[in-house]
Amino acid sequence: MTVLHPAAERYLNIPGSLIAWILLILALSVFSFSLYRRVLLLLSGQPDPRWGDWKERVRGLLVYGILQKRQPRYFWAGLIHLLIFWGFVVLGLRSLDLIGQGLGGGYALPFLRGGFGVFYGSLKDLFELTVLGACIWAILRRAMIRPARYELENGRGHRWEAYLVLSLIGFLMLTDMFYEGGMLLLSPPAPGWLPAAGLAVSVLSSLDETGVSNVSLLAYWAHYLAFFIFLNFLPLAKHFHILTALPNIYFRKLKKGSLKPVRWGVENLEDLESLGVGRLEDFTWKHLLDLFTCTECGRCSDHCPAKAVGRPLSPKMITLKLRDYVYRKVPVFSLFPWRSDSGGSEGRKEKEGSEAALIGEVITFAEIWSCTTCGACEEECPVFIEYLDKLIDMRRHLIETAQNPKTFNPILTQVEKTGNPFGKPPKKRADWIKEIAEVPVRILKEGDEAEVLYFVDSYASYDPRVQAVALAVVRGLSLAEVDFGILGAREKDSGHQVRRLGEEGLFQLLLEENLEVLQSCRFNQIVTTDPHTFNTLKNDYPGDLPVVHYTQFFRDLLASGRLKPKKIIDGPPIYAYHDPCYLGRHNGIYEAPREILDRLPGVKWVEMARCRDRSFCCGGGDVNLWHEIEGETMRPAARRLEMAREAGVGGIVTACPFCLLNLEDAVKTAGLEKEMKVVDLMELLVSTL
Amino acid sequence: MGGIFVVVEHRQGKVREITLEMLAKAGEWKNDLGGDLTAVLLGWETGPLIEALKGRADRILVIEDERLKNFEAEVYKLILQQLIQEVHPSLTLIGQTSWGLDLAPCLAVKTGFPLVTDCVELRIEAGRPTALRQMYGGKIFARVSFKESPGYLATIRPGAFSPDPSEDHQTEVIKKQFPAGLPESKKQFLELIESEAGEVDISQADFLVSVGRGVGEEENLALVRELARSLGAVLSCSRPIVDKKWLPKYHQVGTSGKSVKPKVYLALGISGAFQHLAGISGAGTVIAVNKDPRAPIFRVAQYGVAQDLFKIIPALMEQINRN
Amino acid sequence: MNIIVCVKRVPFTQEVDLEIEAGKREVDRESLAYVVNDWDNYAIEEAVRLKEQGEGTVTAITLGPEEDEEVLRRCLAMGADRARRIDPGERTLDGQGVARVLARGLAGIPFDLILCGVQAEDDNQGMVGIMMAEHLGLAHAVVVTGIEPQEGKLIVQCELEGGLDERSKIKLPALLTIQTGINEPRYVSIMGIKKAAKKPLEVIPLADLNLSPDDLAPQVLIEELFLPPETGGAEMITGDPAQAAEKILQILKEKGVRA
Repeated sequence: MTVLHPAAERYLNIPGSLIAWILLILALSVFSFSLYRRVLLLLSGQPDPRWGDWKERVRGLLVYGILQKRQPRYFWAGLIHLLIFWGFVVLGLRSLDLIGQGLGGGYALPFLRGGFGVFYGSLKDLFELTVLGACIWAILRRAMIRPARYELENGRGHRWEAYLVLSLIGFLMLTDMFYEGGMLLLSPPAPGWLPAAGLAVSVLSSLDETGVSNVSLLAYWAHYLAFFIFLNFLPLAKHFHILTALPNIYFRKLKKGSLKPVRWGVENLEDLESLGVGRLEDFTWKHLLDLFTCTECGRCSDHCPAKAVGRPLSPKMITLKLRDYVYRKVPVFSLFPWRSDSGGSEGRKEKEGSEAALIGEVITFAEIWSCTTCGACEEECPVFIEYLDKLIDMRRHLIETAQNPKTFNPILTQVEKTGNPFGKPPKKRADWIKEIAEVPVRILKEGDEAEVLYFVDSYASYDPRVQAVALAVVRGLSLAEVDFGILGAREKDSGHQVRRLGEEGLFQLLLEENLEVLQSCRFNQIVTTDPHTFNTLKNDYPGDLPVVHYTQFFRDLLASGRLKPKKIIDGPPIYAYHDPCYLGRHNGIYEAPREILDRLPGVKWVEMARCRDRSFCCGGGDVNLWHEIEGETMRPAARRLEMAREAGVGGIVTACPFCLLNLEDAVKTAGLEKEMKVVDLMELLVSTL
Repeated sequence: MGGIFVVVEHRQGKVREITLEMLAKAGEWKNDLGGDLTAVLLGWETGPLIEALKGRADRILVIEDERLKNFEAEVYKLILQQLIQEVHPSLTLIGQTSWGLDLAPCLAVKTGFPLVTDCVELRIEAGRPTALRQMYGGKIFARVSFKESPGYLATIRPGAFSPDPSEDHQTEVIKKQFPAGLPESKKQFLELIESEAGEVDISQADFLVSVGRGVGEEENLALVRELARSLGAVLSCSRPIVDKKWLPKYHQVGTSGKSVKPKVYLALGISGAFQHLAGISGAGTVIAVNKDPRAPIFRVAQYGVAQDLFKIIPALMEQINRN
Repeated sequence: MNIIVCVKRVPFTQEVDLEIEAGKREVDRESLAYVVNDWDNYAIEEAVRLKEQGEGTVTAITLGPEEDEEVLRRCLAMGADRARRIDPGERTLDGQGVARVLARGLAGIPFDLILCGVQAEDDNQGMVGIMMAEHLGLAHAVVVTGIEPQEGKLIVQCELEGGLDERSKIKLPALLTIQTGINEPRYVSIMGIKKAAKKPLEVIPLADLNLSPDDLAPQVLIEELFLPPETGGAEMITGDPAQAAEKILQILKEKGVRA
């Protein structure tokens, strides 16, 4: 019996290749249409310049996209995904080959015929088995272990979609195996090692020739069909990420720690009709692309400190609710509406016909204000979905429409009128220096010059507990004989919190005034007490200010020998170091504080279970100071305190005033003042000098 | 001419304390001004009110009419203007109360007399008063003088003076008729309402009893609650109390709670953390009870008791119940 | 309902240690920040809410120099439709003078209701509103904590002392002085204020109001300002618990929170 390629056979007198072509054209038409509808959605978004820095972007694509660097952060799930992903990469060629065979009536693609073809044959078989195994493993894992992060908040898991796709992928593997296995049985053995096909051969060998032929044919067309069905399924739900993940990673946000402007390309905010995101069209195209790309893996929510303490926020649900909302607004098929449904009541409401408000109903106020801007979600996401810009854009909208929590009103007015959130008189901003009259602190006036400008910021200037840190900084600078000065009453709040609260107009005001004052003096470096100050001066303020956090500055002083710690510390037996979000995650400064700790004589310290880029936020130095969320079961700092206790330490050392205040508060509330000491790294450092 | 009018403020059948305070002090001022001290009582069923006033003024001018059943500034203004025209008192005193805020300014315009409000002291020099009052929420004291005028108007701050008269007066009661032809009032009393219990707005309270970590266990809160109730004060607290879920959020004072501006803030077992102090910067008088004499709250309080609150609270309760 | 709201720009003194100028008649205002008077903020919020419930316009008016326009812009950003500033020029006015000027100065603005704050944070006098009402012949009520509009009239809730409130019916046109806590004033963002710059703000010089020097002459004069005596921390109450308790109760009485 001559073995014809399935595409060379005739079915009801129609050549197989014709069927292949028809199927191809049909499938690609539908697919193009779906893509077109999705692109339409993207085009309705605001501009977002992601075209520059191509070298960095390509590097990111390779590291995070191809090498999947973030996947193994959850080891087993990561491994499974890596295998399936690389399987797709390798098997892509095979799929093209099979389609090509179909269209061409049975001929393999030219370059797959030589030695490379043999090699590739083995490779693809290996991967087919691997992918099949990985899919089975994934299905079993989902069904038996049921990781909580896969759940949707309302208890529905979307598991059916995951099972469907995993099964479909497995099916694709199997059909190819059986197609090739059948062909192998019917025709002379192909060169090379084909383990997958070989497996199929052993199953099929019990059948007669006709049977094998039928199986092979069936398998081929099943594969062909399944492939195009899978392709067309992609734009409709979470597996769209297969297509959009690489672009999403390419276009990722490069400048961590910064916030997007209210609208890219618009200098004068007064020209804008509205500020922030209040409607679908206010999102940028990249943020809409984010929504296409969510894989529902839940790693973001797993690490969200707000969620961990019972607040209504779940980053994954933010993305999914927004996705469902935009898909409802601009669906692919309006005749047969595919509702990718995360099960929220807004979806039901819209089915009933009324319009759910994007801000307030789809995404509730409580969710928007729950966020501490710690960035843990963005750090985990394997496909680089952005959260902070979206949430803060929504906050901007709420502030402009006066829907913010009223507790902000006096704070913001006080920042505006007195340059600090406490309403304390500006002329008292430098009163704290009187505490160390023996250390001269220069207050820089217009035209003055200093090597280092110490930007103290509001909490260190006015809050007695944080003043202790400022005093320690000044003591340290003085002992190292650094020529430094402070701005005193001319310094205004850096505006970090104000910006992340959504009051962009006030932030711009502070920025302008601070820049003017900074430009009136000459200095080589700015050193800050607070990682938030550091973050905003470095990433939000224009002009490339030469700013470092005190940990970086003092690490250098210690390394160069300008400061020599002598005294041995007499304190808790062991400390745990707590990475502040705006020092660590947002700005990548993990080593400097650790190097300092290592140089302090007598200090024994350990890492907590969640450290470095997985540090657990203390609750924040932003919104959370001035507003409290209903439903919270404990404060994030209390949770962090538990982690410290689990680490068996007697003290926590940190390098941020808000971490200091929040953790100390948690210690007091728990009544553990004798068991757990909380101290700022600068205080610890100075006690050794 | 001399003579002082004190407009009698009364509610629900009782003379209010402010009236007694004004009468007691006016007794002294009258000596500098000359003339008589007259209590002007406008009301309905004035018998018990007159009794309460006897001995505290030289004269009680009474107008009793059903139209005066409830206080209406418009009516009072017109009647008082007439009485002032008849009797020519040099000084007319009204309490700085809700009543007084409604009555004194329109009476001032009607009579053309200068008005100084919320006086805590008055001095008469050569027939002309000078007043002492506060500004900027009590941060500044001001001595003010009145322009020369046939009559002067002042409202007096409740609690500034003692209600106990220094001398007893022989009181003459004069009844007058409700003036004819008074136009109908544009405002009409409907009813009095007691404030609801339940979720209370501590930021509007005049007197707060506030509790902090020094209270120790949750059971001890009952003691503080009872004290607040007996004193007629609103209960509030610092953040740790809310953190421990012993009190709901709306009781919290501080940067992440509410800012309060009561006349008196009685802080029990509160150390005075910065974030808490920020919430009471508008308070008039802070009385702090904390067994640690170095507690930061003593730096901002006006009065301090460095004793165990569990000794002070029972002592307070005992004295309150005694009275 | 057309509403006029009278607002005042006052210094922000909550955390400030005030100082008195050498002449002892003025507070040193040099390094002070300025805000809208707290009571007036509630008043303008209430006016905007009433407008949002029905129809009508809200006009914010103030008496003061050019710097005071900042407060009018805030009112416009909160929802007022127009604003008017009466410029006093070189004149200093006392409470009754301000009342006269404002009463005359709002001529030409149609209104059913005027809202003022109960008092101002700087002088704490509490007289301008009701004096205005008297000049204009309006019905009035003070310390208002609730307003319910009805046909041609209002039902108002006024705060008395000791936890008691009073409900009354008041005919329009009327003037009410508004108590803090009647509502929760909305936040006005910096951008919001900038956008409000497009709304009309007119300025009328005092001279245009044709008031006589007698009308404007102060009836009350500040002779001297002084600071309360230094306390330097709390006055510690000594004695046994019973004695301390007695002293505490006495202080409560003095401060007017205990009968």
